[in-house]
Amino acid sequence: MTSTRTSTQTGERKIPLARKIGALLTAAAIGLVPGGLVIPAASATETGTESGTTLKLPLTGDIDSLNPFIAILATSTNILGLQYEGLVGYSAENNEVIPEMAESWETSEDGITWTFTFAEDRVWSDGEPLTANDAAWTFQAIQENDALKQANGSLLENVASVEATDDYTLVLTLNEAQAPNPGSVLPVVPEHVWSEVEDPATFENASDAVGSGPFTVVDYNPTSGVTMKANPNYWQGEAKIDGVTYVPYRNGDAAVQALLTGEIDMINGLTPAQFQALEQEENITTNSGAGRRYQAMNINSGTKDVDGNDMGNGNPALQDVELRKAIVMAIDSNTLLERVLEGLGTPATGEIPAVYPLYHWDTEELPYAYDPEESNRILDEAGYEMGDDGVRLDLEGNPLELRLMGRNSDPTHQQMADFIIPWLAEIGISVTSEMKAPAQVNDDSILGNYDMYFTGWGIGPDPDFQMSINQCSSRPNADGTGATNESNWCSPEFDAIYAAQHTELDQERRSELVVDAQKLIYDAAVNNVLYYADALEAYRSDRFEPFVTQPTEGGVILGQNGPWGIYSATPVSSVDAEGATATTNPAAVILPIVGVLLVGGLVAFFLVKRRRSTADERE
Amino acid sequence: MSNALSTQDLVPGDHGTDEPPRASSWLKYTAMKAGGALISLIMVVLLGFFAFRILPGDPVRSLADGRRVSVEQMDILREQLGLNDPLLAQFWRYLTELFQGQLGYSYTYNEPVVNLIATRIGPTVLLTGTAAIISVVLGLWLGQRAAWRRGSLFDKTQTGLALVFWSVPTFWLGLLLLLLFGGGLQWFPTGGLVTAGTTETGLPLIWDVIRHMTLPVITMVAVVYAQYLMVMRASLLEEMTSDYLMTARAKGLREDEVRTKHAVPNALLPTVTLIFLTLGGLVGGAVTVETVFSWPGLGYLTFQALSAPDFPLLQGTFVVFSSIVILMNFFADLLYRVLDPRLRAA
Repeated sequence: MTSTRTSTQTGERKIPLARKIGALLTAAAIGLVPGGLVIPAASATETGTESGTTLKLPLTGDIDSLNPFIAILATSTNILGLQYEGLVGYSAENNEVIPEMAESWETSEDGITWTFTFAEDRVWSDGEPLTANDAAWTFQAIQENDALKQANGSLLENVASVEATDDYTLVLTLNEAQAPNPGSVLPVVPEHVWSEVEDPATFENASDAVGSGPFTVVDYNPTSGVTMKANPNYWQGEAKIDGVTYVPYRNGDAAVQALLTGEIDMINGLTPAQFQALEQEENITTNSGAGRRYQAMNINSGTKDVDGNDMGNGNPALQDVELRKAIVMAIDSNTLLERVLEGLGTPATGEIPAVYPLYHWDTEELPYAYDPEESNRILDEAGYEMGDDGVRLDLEGNPLELRLMGRNSDPTHQQMADFIIPWLAEIGISVTSEMKAPAQVNDDSILGNYDMYFTGWGIGPDPDFQMSINQCSSRPNADGTGATNESNWCSPEFDAIYAAQHTELDQERRSELVVDAQKLIYDAAVNNVLYYADALEAYRSDRFEPFVTQPTEGGVILGQNGPWGIYSATPVSSVDAEGATATTNPAAVILPIVGVLLVGGLVAFFLVKRRRSTADERE
Repeated sequence: MSNALSTQDLVPGDHGTDEPPRASSWLKYTAMKAGGALISLIMVVLLGFFAFRILPGDPVRSLADGRRVSVEQMDILREQLGLNDPLLAQFWRYLTELFQGQLGYSYTYNEPVVNLIATRIGPTVLLTGTAAIISVVLGLWLGQRAAWRRGSLFDKTQTGLALVFWSVPTFWLGLLLLLLFGGGLQWFPTGGLVTAGTTETGLPLIWDVIRHMTLPVITMVAVVYAQYLMVMRASLLEEMTSDYLMTARAKGLREDEVRTKHAVPNALLPTVTLIFLTLGGLVGGAVTVETVFSWPGLGYLTFQALSAPDFPLLQGTFVVFSSIVILMNFFADLLYRVLDPRLRAA
């Protein structure tokens, strides 16, 4: 459509074209430039007034769907997290469970019956009353229709029945007791909209959506992104901005430039280099928020399938826990943090990062902290003799040669390997690194086709899932289908602790159990957590006041468990039209015009030439 | 196979309409070329299905990567995506859908592949089309100028410059332009086809698109125009020693006319074929440019499909890209014959 319009524009200019390009260019320039100048000036003032009240965020990932029953990609679920609420949410202060859609909840003594109470005055963004029936409808829809289980089905596997006993009371009955709140995460949709939809599984929900969160989707298309507007009926009060626009950006460097031009107001997922460059910029505030992701080097302790049969081609020498401990002690993770991440992260202990104080293993004294001498001593004692070439022999007499796998899509993996290889050489272990395509790494790690590899998980506010994938029952089938195991390791002792925390309703006791579980993984030296990388963000401080972070101390703005960061967006009192001046820059107007003229000129030149030559031939 | 078909087709035509043999040979030629194109298309369809199954990675696991997904959920997904069926059954489904004009259902986007391609082919055609026109015109014009004055300063600087751009990685050049004119000087927007959330229509919208197009088009043109320049230059150089130019000059034609009316039309022959051959490739080259400039086109879609791997989407974009190349080659064959009288007589 646009292409035809552009061509008519050049076509119009074709008419006044005379013989000489020079004359033609001037003629066209006279015809076009004034119009060209007027248009962007007008649009600039428009965007100038808009930009103060709309928060523009980069849309760097893919949107698989905006249907909350279907959407699984992080980008989509983040957007839907602004539009829908769970029964309970997670606080901005410290990720504790707090009331969200439900005002309060009670758990029966046995942990089987959960009763949620709804407030009486809540309404959806379209003004319809919000009641326990909406939640009951949502939960039951997922339970009854397999097609709706795609996104959140696993959250309801332990839920036996859902019932709205009256408009303001929802009762969930579980199959067995569980500690994680069954009302968290799962987005509740308005029954009055979704029950009218012919097939909820294929409903796109991509325009004029109705929700109860602080913002609702007005429109989505892959060309112009997602526009959301503030929900006037949001129970915590309408947001201070008119809406949020997600602008599609396909690569991080372009998005950084867009922050500089003001095409977006905030960015996350920066590399340390980008972050440090933006720190120097005026009008931009950077935020290095404690991340909720751990980075680890996994060691293959002998992969087995769910039936206990050996899988994969891991080096059998690594089945010796002493060797694994020695490897962990030879790696200086603080240096990795300083050199690979430029110090933008937190030293790690267990798998649950420090942003979750309830479950984080908080210790200064890690048993296998960096100590190459001790590492060498352990290997000597365990009988790994040093060969003549500086490479030790394993207990079978073969040289200790290991592979270190990483993703070629993540430059930090190769960087870390470049440090780790010489460190392990110091204790007599020869390592080669192999960086592979992410999908290949997924396959190889599940099948146990590795000796060591870099891995990492983003951790949710409840540790249950992360711990659950270390159970013996969470091992894959022989062909790699079925469950995934975090470290291809399992122990009955761990399974017992996991089961205990899973049903422990006392917070203090559960926290202790989760820390114990992490210590077991640590002691087995199968998943050497190296650091928790900071989430690197930056925003236009000339347009927005500081945002609420999660956790409040040193936390993140985007990528929170909850909408608090974006909801807190407050325009600075006097928003000047910074973006408008950028768009009215005269060069910005003149250069495209020159480009268009050049094209038009060249086309016209050839047309004229051609006409002349045909005329000549006629003569 | 195509030969047999075409002769059978031709027999009644020859006798029934009493056309001169030239037309029938033309038909035969077209039919042969069309047959060749058809065979290539069939190969593409077959390859498109089987080649991508070699890619590592389980699509369902990729979708669930790093998320809290239970084994049951993955099974539901696998069932819904039809991945539990035997490979041959999946192939049969792919074939039958293809004949109904369907390309399956994308794993990642939860949408029919046909819809995805339909919404994204427009921007790609706009981008590559504009870039193609500019680089062809620019390349041919500079090429014939350079050839006519071979060895001159103009020739040396133009070919040198073109070759420098030709050897520059597209990704790097794109990012450089983006840094310079996007974030640095802030003359141009840094990505996309239109300003996000824009409500403009008409002229302001066109203007918005032109501003967004400028950098990606410059990037594409810079990297590809050298090939047109070089071929035009080479083929014109070949013509320049021909006797007919001497004749033309002897008739008293001006040097410009000798060049444009006599030398260039003959030199254009190999160039036209090249243009069509490269047009198909240009669409493929859009992948990089579209990724740098966040252009909502087919190239980026392919890039995303590869990382999943999203088989139906991969197959779909592969079939579309390949069809474009095959069609362009077919057109090149036909056009060549139209342009070159020697082939017509043969």
